[in-house]
Amino acid sequence: MIKTSNLTKKYGDFTALENLNIEIKEGEILCLLGANGAGKSTTINLLLNFIAPTSGSAYINGLDVTKHPKKTKPYLTYIPENLMLYPTLTAIENLDYFLGIGGKSFSKTELRSFLGQAGLQEEAFEKRVQYFSKGMRQKVGIALAIAKEAKVLLLDEPTSGLDPKSSNEFGELLKNMKLANVAMLMATHDIFRAKEIGTHIGIMKEGVLKHHFLNDDITLQDLEKVYLETMTVNEEAL
Amino acid sequence: MFTYNFKYELKSLLRSKWLLLLSLTLLIVVLFAGYNGKEKVEKRVSGLERVTSEVKEKDNAMLKILDSFEKGIKTNQNPRTLPSAPMNVAYGYPRVAAIPAKALTFIATGQSDLFTHFVKPSVYGDSFSMDYTELANPVQLLFGTFDLAFVIIYILPLIIIAFSYNIFSEEKEYGSLKLLASQPISIYQWLLQKTALRFFWLTLITLVVIVITLLFFGFEFGSNFSSFIQLISLVVAYILFWFAVVLLVNILVNNSAKNAVSLLAIWVFVILIIPAVVGQMANVFYPIPSRTKMISEVRELKEELSKKQDKILDNFLRDHPEYATKNGTKNYSFWHKYTASQDLIEEELKPLIDSYETQLQKQQEWVKLWQYSSPAIIMQQSFNNLAHTSTAHYQEYRSQVAVFSKEWRNFFKPLLYSNKDFTTSMYKELPSFKYEAPKSNSVILKVVILLVFSLIFLSIGRQIFNKKIGKGSVIV
Repeated sequence: MIKTSNLTKKYGDFTALENLNIEIKEGEILCLLGANGAGKSTTINLLLNFIAPTSGSAYINGLDVTKHPKKTKPYLTYIPENLMLYPTLTAIENLDYFLGIGGKSFSKTELRSFLGQAGLQEEAFEKRVQYFSKGMRQKVGIALAIAKEAKVLLLDEPTSGLDPKSSNEFGELLKNMKLANVAMLMATHDIFRAKEIGTHIGIMKEGVLKHHFLNDDITLQDLEKVYLETMTVNEEAL
Repeated sequence: MFTYNFKYELKSLLRSKWLLLLSLTLLIVVLFAGYNGKEKVEKRVSGLERVTSEVKEKDNAMLKILDSFEKGIKTNQNPRTLPSAPMNVAYGYPRVAAIPAKALTFIATGQSDLFTHFVKPSVYGDSFSMDYTELANPVQLLFGTFDLAFVIIYILPLIIIAFSYNIFSEEKEYGSLKLLASQPISIYQWLLQKTALRFFWLTLITLVVIVITLLFFGFEFGSNFSSFIQLISLVVAYILFWFAVVLLVNILVNNSAKNAVSLLAIWVFVILIIPAVVGQMANVFYPIPSRTKMISEVRELKEELSKKQDKILDNFLRDHPEYATKNGTKNYSFWHKYTASQDLIEEELKPLIDSYETQLQKQQEWVKLWQYSSPAIIMQQSFNNLAHTSTAHYQEYRSQVAVFSKEWRNFFKPLLYSNKDFTTSMYKELPSFKYEAPKSNSVILKVVILLVFSLIFLSIGRQIFNKKIGKGSVIV
């Protein structure tokens, strides 16, 4: 579903991402860990074709995202760190709008059903999203993925800033999406959440994927140890 | 995509109270401007009505006296002012020469507050070099008159800027752009649609407000439909121009604060600086001689010629032997000498008057040439033309008055020299003034120029957007 081949992004002399090769299949979740500037968001931006790669390719559902940007987007849903919806519109209206401009039309009952499946409380359906917490907005994002029947979910630090309960709820939603065979790439700083929901875990640093594990192959303690070691190597060298 | 953009853009605008605020602001401002313009026009119309009715009353009194005189009935009229003497009518019973207000005069004050809109050119006076009010409220001179033209040209762009300065940058700053861009849509098309919808709503509100104002102030759509269509076309093209500018700046700058500053700078440049520079250049290249100096020179020349009136009369009679009498010049009155000298005075004054008029005309030609450097000049010129208050209209009026003035004098001259009385039967033959408006150019060319400007900006915007998308600097 998601594949990159020697994906590289450079800004002048600065390398934001170097030769990234990953493959995420249906029902798999790759959690990318790393400090700020490690290249996690760059990877997502490249997969969304928000920025063009310097070299290499990125594929969604077998289609090159640079060559077929409009064809790849119906398959994916993107949930950024702060999912910003239109504040004066209600949850249902926002969902209707984002689906509608992409060419998907649903009845109000269907839209309510998607929001319900995403875990949003029924009384919030008709409320303007300006009164929504971050967790509630993220659920509208999940509803968007459910409605689109997205095969790919790209998540850029979706749980940062969420309270533990909301973060836990969000994790459960992602697990459900995994059961629905959605391929997910999640950039996060949260090792514990990555270990909890990821099928694969990657550690990035300075634009390079330093480690790549199968979740079952590593314990939380070892993951934490490797992560910290990876992060401190350069500091010692300095 | 369009249906969804239309539906939810309208919902957002209604819920954020933008449309309500915009409609109310425009309605108040346009109605106030209409009221200001209409008040000026009404003052002008009532002044003209007053003078016309005064002339009518005076004429009726004159006809009664003439009738009595012709029937040999004695009247209390002073024999020196009897209307049977042609020059008493020529001097004391002038006609009204007016530039009447048109249906759209109230939309643009133009030159109407500088020049008089009616005169009574008598046989004695300077009707050819009509006076005009040189004293005006300095604050009004600085800011212009608060009429519909002012609201459309100056205030409407500011409303457009306030309404849409962040039409795209807001999406990026707020964070919704990434979510939009992750949908299978073209962001440029989405932006174009959003701008088009804002353009649509603002245009609709503006047009409704203008129609309400026109209706409120008694504009007759049926008989002035062409003027109405021209007005509307100009307004729509002008709004489109400003939306094209807004879109270009949003694409080019894409930061709300910087967008606002850039758009205000453009507003200052287009609305204030370019017109001021064009006007200033016109003064530098074609300076108009001092009006006061001209009037003083006219007086000097007249005084000089008046000293030679006997000689002038001799020359005149030599040129016009049909007017000569057997008694020589000694029985000729003041009026004989005066009318005889008028042609010469006009001939002598012509270069002086022409130097003023020619420079004024050259200034107009200069402004006409450079009007396309700023949509504000295009609009002001077009509004003045539609309102019949342009410099060209007043120049034409002045020249028509000068011609009429001569016609009036020439009507009485044969009576004066042949020593004939003015009779009631001659009353109907008295020359009357009818202002003929100059042929105005249609606004089509100006509308097309504004559309071309808009298309150029839209096309530049598209090119820049594509480049930025290529560089990846639009979304991230």
